[in-house]
Amino acid sequence: MEASSAPIPSLGSGLSTGAAGSSGPRVSDAAARHAWLARFVVRRLASLVAVLFAITVLTFLIFQAIPDGDPALRMAGRLASPQQVQAVRVQWGFDKPIYVQYLKTMEKVLDGSVISYSQQVNVEQEIVRDLPPTVSLALGAGVIWLVFGVLFGLLSAVYAGRWLDRLLSVVALTGISMPVFFLGAIMLYWLGYKWGLLPLGGYVPLTVDPWGWFTHMLMPWVALSVVSVGVYSRVLRANVLDVMREDYVRTARAKGLSERRVLVRHVLRNSLMGIVTLWGLDFAWVIGGGAILVESVFNLGGVGQYAAQSIGRLDVPPVMVITMLVACAVVVLSAIVDILYAVLDPRVRL
Amino acid sequence: MRTLLRNRVALAFGALFVAIVFACLLAPVYAKDVAHTGPNDNHITETIDVGGKQVDVVSPTGVPIGPTWKGRFFLGADSNGRDVAVRLLYGGRNSLEIAGIATLITMLLAILLGTLAGYMRGILDGVLSRLFDLVWAYPAVLLGVALGVALAVGGIDLGLFTLHSGSLLLPAFVIGIVFFPYVAKPLRAQALSLREREFVDAARVQGVGSLRIMFDEILPNLTSSIVVFVPLIIANAILLEAGLSYLGAGVQDPNPSWGTMLADGIRLIPGAIHLVLVPGIMLVLTVLSVNVFADGVRDALDPKATVRGRL
Amino acid sequence: MYRTIQASIGTLLAFMLVVGVSACGSSSTSSGKGPISVLMGTAPDSLDPGLGATTQSYEATWITYTGLVTYAHVSGEAGTKLIPGVAQSLPTVTGGGRTYTFMLRKGLVYSNGAPVKASDFAYAIERTIKLGWGSESFLTENIAGAEEFQAGKASSISGIQTDDATGRITIQLVAPYGPFLNVLAFPAAGLVPSGTPMKSLNNAPPPGIGPYEIESVVPNKSFAMVLNPNWSKDAIPGIPAGHENIDVSIVSNNQSQAEQVLNNSADVFDYNDTIPPTLISQIESQASDRFAKEPTVSGLYFFLNVKEAPFNNARARQAVNYGLNRQALQRLDSGMLQPACFFLPAGMPGHPTNAPCPYGEPNAQPNLAKAKELVRQAGLEGAPVTVWGGSRAPHKEFVDYYTSMLNEIGFKATEKIVADAQYYATVGNLSNKAQTGFLSYSQDFPNPIDFYQLLDAKSIQPTENHNLSQVNDPHIQSELASLGPIPSSQLGSVVPRWQALDEYTAKQAYMLVSGYEEVPKFFSNRINFGAAVFHPVYGNDWSSLELK
Repeated sequence: MEASSAPIPSLGSGLSTGAAGSSGPRVSDAAARHAWLARFVVRRLASLVAVLFAITVLTFLIFQAIPDGDPALRMAGRLASPQQVQAVRVQWGFDKPIYVQYLKTMEKVLDGSVISYSQQVNVEQEIVRDLPPTVSLALGAGVIWLVFGVLFGLLSAVYAGRWLDRLLSVVALTGISMPVFFLGAIMLYWLGYKWGLLPLGGYVPLTVDPWGWFTHMLMPWVALSVVSVGVYSRVLRANVLDVMREDYVRTARAKGLSERRVLVRHVLRNSLMGIVTLWGLDFAWVIGGGAILVESVFNLGGVGQYAAQSIGRLDVPPVMVITMLVACAVVVLSAIVDILYAVLDPRVRL
Repeated sequence: MRTLLRNRVALAFGALFVAIVFACLLAPVYAKDVAHTGPNDNHITETIDVGGKQVDVVSPTGVPIGPTWKGRFFLGADSNGRDVAVRLLYGGRNSLEIAGIATLITMLLAILLGTLAGYMRGILDGVLSRLFDLVWAYPAVLLGVALGVALAVGGIDLGLFTLHSGSLLLPAFVIGIVFFPYVAKPLRAQALSLREREFVDAARVQGVGSLRIMFDEILPNLTSSIVVFVPLIIANAILLEAGLSYLGAGVQDPNPSWGTMLADGIRLIPGAIHLVLVPGIMLVLTVLSVNVFADGVRDALDPKATVRGRL
Repeated sequence: MYRTIQASIGTLLAFMLVVGVSACGSSSTSSGKGPISVLMGTAPDSLDPGLGATTQSYEATWITYTGLVTYAHVSGEAGTKLIPGVAQSLPTVTGGGRTYTFMLRKGLVYSNGAPVKASDFAYAIERTIKLGWGSESFLTENIAGAEEFQAGKASSISGIQTDDATGRITIQLVAPYGPFLNVLAFPAAGLVPSGTPMKSLNNAPPPGIGPYEIESVVPNKSFAMVLNPNWSKDAIPGIPAGHENIDVSIVSNNQSQAEQVLNNSADVFDYNDTIPPTLISQIESQASDRFAKEPTVSGLYFFLNVKEAPFNNARARQAVNYGLNRQALQRLDSGMLQPACFFLPAGMPGHPTNAPCPYGEPNAQPNLAKAKELVRQAGLEGAPVTVWGGSRAPHKEFVDYYTSMLNEIGFKATEKIVADAQYYATVGNLSNKAQTGFLSYSQDFPNPIDFYQLLDAKSIQPTENHNLSQVNDPHIQSELASLGPIPSSQLGSVVPRWQALDEYTAKQAYMLVSGYEEVPKFFSNRINFGAAVFHPVYGNDWSSLELK
C-alpha cells in the first residue's frame, strides 16, 4: 500500500487532526503547561523505547519463521565445510535458544556487522550506499505532494461545488485508486520509451550531473506523489471547509478582510498543522513502502530495491535489517511529530 | 440511507463494482463459451486468424499478440500464449476473494479488539493499544512483504487451522493483520467515549454484564463507523494485494492475480504493453469504483467525517 | 508567523539533506582514452578468486589470476584446449594418472611487481579451501591431503610439494581423475602471493598474474579492470595483453542494459543475461552487425524421477518426450534455445552427431496423439504429477508450459514454484520426492564426465542431491567407471564411446531435454565485433575487446 497513515496522533486517542483541533480546557498557566509538557515528553519517549524494542523482537520473530533450511548453511556458503558451518552457527547463535539468537542478532545489527547470506556483503554498508536514491526519491516526492496537495486542496475548497472542484476530486480519487507501480510502469513506457522524453530508469547522483539527476528522478517523484496528492488534497479540502465554517472566520470576513487574506491567515495556518502531522508520518512510510515499489519499477538502486531484490533471493539479513530500521524510523518520527504537535499547538491536550 | 440513494454518482460506481465482481465470478463461463480456453492453457506455437491472416499467438522471439477484440484472445495473449481476458477474470476472482477475506479479518479483529480495549480500559486496553501501535508503526508494504515472504514458503500452522503455502488465504491473512489497527484505533476511541454516555451508565447500574453491554449498547452505535470503513478497507486491500503479488510476497504461482499479471507485464515492457494496461486499468477501475462508493457512504453516514478515511 | 519561518527552515534543511545525501552517490571514474564499459545484470558473487564461483565472477577473474594451466584465448572448440599458464609446459603425468609434475616459468611477477614462487601455488590452493570456494570439492575430493587440510587435521596439503629453488611443483591425487587439468585452470587455482590474508578480499582483490588487475570495487555496483602494468604480451604465450581499461557496472534491469548497448551508451551486454524478447527483433534488424547468438555448452532439461510414479514407467517418460513442443520453449526463451533431444550439449565432446532422436525430431511439431496413447497404455491417465520450478523468468514460464502439456496428454499436473534461491535445495532434498521439474546445467569444464554427474548413481545423496532423476543404471555406471579416469587431453580417442552412452541415455529418456541455450554476443558499435573472442568456457573474453 502506498504512502499515508491514519491521520491520528499515535497515542491512539482517535482524535482527528482537523484544524479545529479544539476540545479540552485551555492550559493558561505557563508553568503548569511546562510541567505537563515535560511529563508528556518523558511518557512519550518511554513509550517510544518500548515500541522500538517490540519492533525489533517482532521483526526478528517474523524472520525466524522463514524456513530457509539451515540458516547457518546458507550463511556459510553453498558448499562450505562442516567446520565453517559450525563456526557460523556459533557466531549467530543458531544453536542456542531463541532469546540468545535475538541478542546476538541485535548485537550484530547495532554493531553494523550483519553479513548477507548469499553475497558476503555487509548489509548496513550496503544500505548506506543505497541511501541516496531513496532519500532523493522520498524528499523530492514529499515536496511535490505537499505543494500540490495543498494547492489542489485549497483550490477545491475555494471553488467548492464548482467544476474545478469536481475535476480535482476526480483526479484525487483516481490518484488514490492507482497502484503506484502501475502508474510508474505506464509513465516509463510512454514518457520514456515511446516518446523518449525522459530517461528509462536508473539513477544519476546529484553531484555528478544535476540535470541528469533531475530527469531521472522526475517520473519516480510523480508516480509516488500522485497517490498522496489525492489524499492530501481531500483532507485539506475537508479541513478548510470545516474551518471556513468556524465563527472566527466569519468574524474575520465580517470585519471586511478580503477572501484571500482570510483564507491564508486563519484557515491555512490552522489546517496546516494537521497536514504537517500527516506529512511527517507519510515521509517515513514512503521510505518503507512506496519506495520499494517505485524503485523496483525505475531501477533506482535504492534501499527499497535492495529490499525487493533480497526478498527475491530469500536473503534474510537485508530484509530484516531494513524492516527494523524503517519501522523504527517511523516510530521515532511519529514520536517527534507528537511532541512537536504538543509543543506547538497550545490548544491540544492529549 | 436516503442520502446515499440520492447520490447517483456513488451508486453508479457501486454498481460498476458489483458488475466487476459478477464478471469475475462468471470467469468459467467466459472461459468455456467465449474464449474456449482455460486460464492456464498454453498456446505458444499456435496461430489464429486475425483479419484473414494467420498470426502467431507468440512470435518466434517470444512476443505475444495484443488484443484481437474477438472471442479468442479478446485482450491478447501473454508470453505463455494464455488468454489474457480469461486470466484477468480468474485473477480477479483471486484478487477480490483475497481482498474480501482480508477485509473480513480486519473488521472482525478491529471490532472485537477495538471495542474490548475501549470499553474495558485498564490493563487490557494498555496491552491492546500497544499492540495496535506496534502493528500500525510498521509500513504496511514492508510488514506485508515480511509476513508474506515468511509464510509463503512454508505456510502457517496455528493449531486452530493450517494454511498451506499455495493457499489464497495466506495473503488474505497477511493483509488482514496489516490493516486491523487502522480500524481498531478509531473504533476504540469511539467505544471509549461511548462508555461515558448515560445509557451505558444506566445499563451498568442495572447490573447488566460487560459483554452484554458491549454487544447491545456499544456495538450498535459503532455500526455507522464500521460501515464507512468496510469499502475503504476493501479498496486498500485490493491495492496491497497487487503490491505484494508484484513483489512476489503475495499470491504465489501459478495462481493468477492482478498483481502477478502486472508483474509479468512490467517485466516485458516495452513489447507487450497490453499485459500492463489490462490488469492495471482493471485494478484502477475496481478500486476507483469502491472509493467513490465509499465516499458516498461516508457522506451519508458520517457527514462530519469524524472518521477520517484514507489509510 | 514563526510557523512560516519554521516551514522555510524545514524546507531549507530538507533541500540541504537532499543535496548532501544524493551527493554521496558514487560513480565509477573513467580513465584515459575511453575505457570500455561492460554491463552485468547480476553482480559477481565475489571478485576474490578464492571465493568466486559464478560465471560473472569468472569473466573478471580468469584474465586476472592465472594458474598452472589455462585455456587458449580463442573462440569455438579450439578454446577448450588447455595451454600452460604459469607452468612452463603441460605436466608430466605419472603413477597411473596420480602424479602431476610442473615446472614454474621463470621471471614471472604479480601485478604488484612481487616475484612469483612455486610455493605460492600451494598457498593459493590452501587459501581457496580455507575460504570455502563453492566448487572446492573439485580440489578436496581429488588432491591427496586436501580433505585433511580442510578438516583442520593438517596444517598444509600433503599432496602438494613445491620447491622454490627449482620451481618444481608436484601434485598427488587420491585417484586418477581425467579432468584434473581443467580443475587447475579455474581462477580459484590461480596463483596469489603467499601471505595473502585468508579472508574475503572481495572489496580489494589480491594481486594476480594476468593481463588485468581488479580495482575500485563497489560491491553490487561497479568495479574496474585496469591493464596490469607488470604484464607484457610475451609473459605467457597464448595469453594476450589487453587493449583497453574496462569499467564494469551492474545494471540489474535487462531491458535497460540492452537498450544502453543498443544506443551505444554502453559497450558490452552481459552474455549471462536475457535480452527482452521485444528488443531482440529490434536488435536483429538495427544492429545485426554487432549481435550474434553464440551456442553454449549448457542444457535446459526437465528431470524425471525414475524412483517415483509416474516416471518410473518408461512409457511415461517416452510420452513426455513425444509431447514436448521444443519450439514453444524456444519462443519462451526469446528464441535463444537450440531444440535438441540429447543430454550432452552440442560442443561437448561426446554429443551424438549422427544419431537420430529416438522420440521424434526436436524441431518438428510434437506428436501429442502418440503421447496421449502412451499415457493411456501405461494406465496413467489422471496420475497426479507435481511439477517443480524456480521463480526466475523464463524458467518459471517453462514450467507453466510443461505443466500445461502434461495436462494435455493425460496427467493431472499442478505446479509448485519456489523462490529461485531455494529451488535446487528444495528439489535436491530427497524427502520432497520431487517427481519432475526444471533443471538447467552448464559446463564447469569441457569434459562429459562433468555433465554425467547428474546421472551418476554415486552422486545421489539425501540433501543437495544433483542426480535429480535418481538414475541408477548399471550400464551407465560401468561406462563412467572406465571413462572417468581418462585425461581430458585424450578425450578425442574415447568420443565414440561417450556418444554411444549418450544415445543410450536418450533412449532410456532419463532426462527430458528441451535444448541447449544460446547466449547473446552483443556489443556497441565502438567495439571491433569480429576480433572479440567468445570463449566456450568463459564467455566474452574481455582481454580481446578493442575499440575500433
